[in-house]
Amino acid sequence: MRERRIDIRTVVGLALVAALVFAVPVLTSDRYLLKVLTFVGVNVIIVTGMALLFGYAGQVSLGHAAFYGIGAYTSAYVVSSLGWPWLTGVVLAVVLTCAGGLLLALPSLRLKGHYLAMATLGFGEIMRVVFVEARGVTGGPDGFSGIPFASVGGLTIDSAGGNYWLIWGVAAVVLAFAANLVRSRAGRAMRALHGSESGALACGIDLTGLKVRVFVISAALAGLAGALYAHVVGFISPSTFSLHVSVLLVAMAVLGGTRSLAGPVLATVLLTMIPFADAVIPGLSRSALEMIQEWQEDVYGLTIIAVLLFVPGGLAGALRRVSGWGRRAE
Amino acid sequence: MSLLQVRSVTKRFGGLTAVDDVSFDVFEGAIKAVIGPNGAGKTTLFNILTAFDRPDEGSVMFDAADIVGWPPQRIVRAGIARTFQNTQLFEEMSALENVMTGAHAVTRAGFLSAALRLPWTVREERDVAEEAGRLLRLVGLGQWADAYAADLPHGLRRLLEIARALATKPRLLLLDEPAAGLNTAETAALADALYRIRDRGVTILIVEHDMGLVMEVSDEIVVLDRGAKIAEGPPRLIQKDPAVIAAYLGEEDADEL
Amino acid sequence: MGGTELLQFVLAGLKNGSIYALVALGFTLIYAATGVINFAQGEFYMLGGMLSVWAYADLGLPLPLAGLVGVMATAAVGGVFELGAIRQRKDGDPLALIVITVGGSMVLSSMARHLFGPNERPLPLFSGGGSVSVFGAVLEVQTIWILGLTALAVVGLWYLYNRTGLGRAMRACAVNRDAARIVGIDTRLMVTVSFLLAAALGALAGLAVTPLTQTAFDVGPTVGIKGFAAAILGGLGNPIAAVVGGLVLGMLESVSIAFISSTYKDAIALIVLLGVLFVRPQGILGRSRREKV
Repeated sequence: MRERRIDIRTVVGLALVAALVFAVPVLTSDRYLLKVLTFVGVNVIIVTGMALLFGYAGQVSLGHAAFYGIGAYTSAYVVSSLGWPWLTGVVLAVVLTCAGGLLLALPSLRLKGHYLAMATLGFGEIMRVVFVEARGVTGGPDGFSGIPFASVGGLTIDSAGGNYWLIWGVAAVVLAFAANLVRSRAGRAMRALHGSESGALACGIDLTGLKVRVFVISAALAGLAGALYAHVVGFISPSTFSLHVSVLLVAMAVLGGTRSLAGPVLATVLLTMIPFADAVIPGLSRSALEMIQEWQEDVYGLTIIAVLLFVPGGLAGALRRVSGWGRRAE
Repeated sequence: MSLLQVRSVTKRFGGLTAVDDVSFDVFEGAIKAVIGPNGAGKTTLFNILTAFDRPDEGSVMFDAADIVGWPPQRIVRAGIARTFQNTQLFEEMSALENVMTGAHAVTRAGFLSAALRLPWTVREERDVAEEAGRLLRLVGLGQWADAYAADLPHGLRRLLEIARALATKPRLLLLDEPAAGLNTAETAALADALYRIRDRGVTILIVEHDMGLVMEVSDEIVVLDRGAKIAEGPPRLIQKDPAVIAAYLGEEDADEL
Repeated sequence: MGGTELLQFVLAGLKNGSIYALVALGFTLIYAATGVINFAQGEFYMLGGMLSVWAYADLGLPLPLAGLVGVMATAAVGGVFELGAIRQRKDGDPLALIVITVGGSMVLSSMARHLFGPNERPLPLFSGGGSVSVFGAVLEVQTIWILGLTALAVVGLWYLYNRTGLGRAMRACAVNRDAARIVGIDTRLMVTVSFLLAAALGALAGLAVTPLTQTAFDVGPTVGIKGFAAAILGGLGNPIAAVVGGLVLGMLESVSIAFISSTYKDAIALIVLLGVLFVRPQGILGRSRREKV
């Protein structure tokens, strides 16, 4: 993708989208819809990290649900069991997932090939076992309930609209940071890595260091999302952080496409909404919804395969082709 | 002063000795050429100098430090830049961005400062873009700044790679067959660019098959044959050296000498 | 702990280890042919059990025939997956292929749920519920079946690899795909054959174990990861190493249950996996050349 000066239309377009996203709680009082959209926002935070990892650094993680879970359980435990303030829970969740990401990425990214995919798969399964077995901290298979709402300085965010704004506020900040990042020296280095590894080495880019950093960022974002999620829903259990969820996150990054943030965000909205189609399609019959839910796994799996076979640039690539920007992007 | 000292460098691939006990010096401010028939070990030598490959024996001293075993990024920071026989451009990035990427090792903006868009990173970014523009003009690609690397005509791609290498602010520039595939006019433009680069204080080591170019631009020539050094000296002497003529006999390049 | 009790754990380790070995062989075959980790390998194990149950219980075939149908049908699924998805990615980009196998895994397990329901399904023991005593330890007859079938598969694979033209072609591809292509080997066909064989091996493991454990649409990933850990433990790309890795992993799990606790039994394989990846990525039998970036 060519580096373009940010033109006025892009700014106005982004502002309109942002205004629309933030106006949702004002426009609707449908608590179910708000809850679903809040959940979409949580996934947007994680997928932003996945987009950097998959779409820019060319690595795949099959264990991001584990970081999501570590974040959620850490904050739940710190706030609910230890009684510390909400913000410390969130910060500790991010610190812990950063450390975990570093421990996993350093050894596996030193090696050639896709060792990271395997290491993250193993890590994800270990954490799933830990979430189930470490009952004293996690509540075991029955889950961790009664997690308090987010609160800062006496102000508790307990309304559906408040939680929606919290999650989307964080998501907007995360996306803005990521957008700055991909248009910076580091973003150029990541695109260079995609273009030619030899060329990137000749520019003095530390490929391993770059991949490790991106992985740690993606792990930290998953941890952040987990911590926020725990306090929004109040209850977490191991099934929320299974391999299945890791794969779903990969599906979002793949469908979204490479070297793009907008594509993965769009893919996240689409794929997250599938099982909650009744929130946006009024009058969707119960049996139709059940049918959709019954087949959602097939949709995710087939989406991954179909995109990689037939639309290698994902949604971002398709958008670029349609709009004519970055026609060389594939 | 000797900027680069290659001492007894040897590299074997299985039973084949690609580089065999090669030693030579490159003096600061010089244009030196490495020539030899195909398979003489020239590219392997370049790969060793830039840490894309490790020698089995020998040392490479750059500015009085032994750089064998350093990772490529450290070598780039130390001041050695290279181009490739098969150009390794970032095809999906503009010419300007390619050159800006070359400035990676000499700029500082990290993940956090870039994400926060700190004012100094914005300034750094602007400076990098300006410098990249200057380098593009230096190699004669000023009007191609916004074109994708993939869209550049073949001859200009090599110049773009040279501009990218210069963006690392090298003291020593290694060029691997920069004239391959260029027509006469393009080769003449390349020679001009090499002089301009040398005049900026950059020492140049060049691997090249185009004998016309080599004889014109280089101060000194090293000749490799089957991995070993068979001659070294100024172009006039190399042209008359019986060992060199023998090595090239049977090669189609022989009559070019 | 007495000797008998220890022997009991060793037998259990051998039984599970054989299963891991078969699944690990599947990983190794596909890795050798393509350089890609097939994350759908566990689903072949699931399908082997599931399709056998279907042939036995739903079609009413006699057990030996049902087992054969289960294995053959799974092999066919493996072949179709290769032809329909893997082969269609023309540039062979490993990252894309790996993610495609992840998607394939999801589709296969979901399809199994649509077709055979969400519940666990049983298969009768191959030859009744008897057991024999080995120095005081109990060895179930079904375990003998598992060990025997594994041994048979390993010997068969060894014969194929070392005594047939097809096997030599496969080995040539594993060593150097480009060179193999130049000497006229149809490397694409070899990839398809590896998928067929890998699917059959996984299916055999699933078939042999189902009488003891039952099977369900979601058993694939867990066994897949363990088989993968076994393949890494032995050293990816080498069939003997896969078998050794499987047996060692089975024993490690068994010993850990004996001496530590069964709570984290499932984590042992994964900790071994991470440990090997980080400390000795070439595996216990791999050559010590580390491929660095």
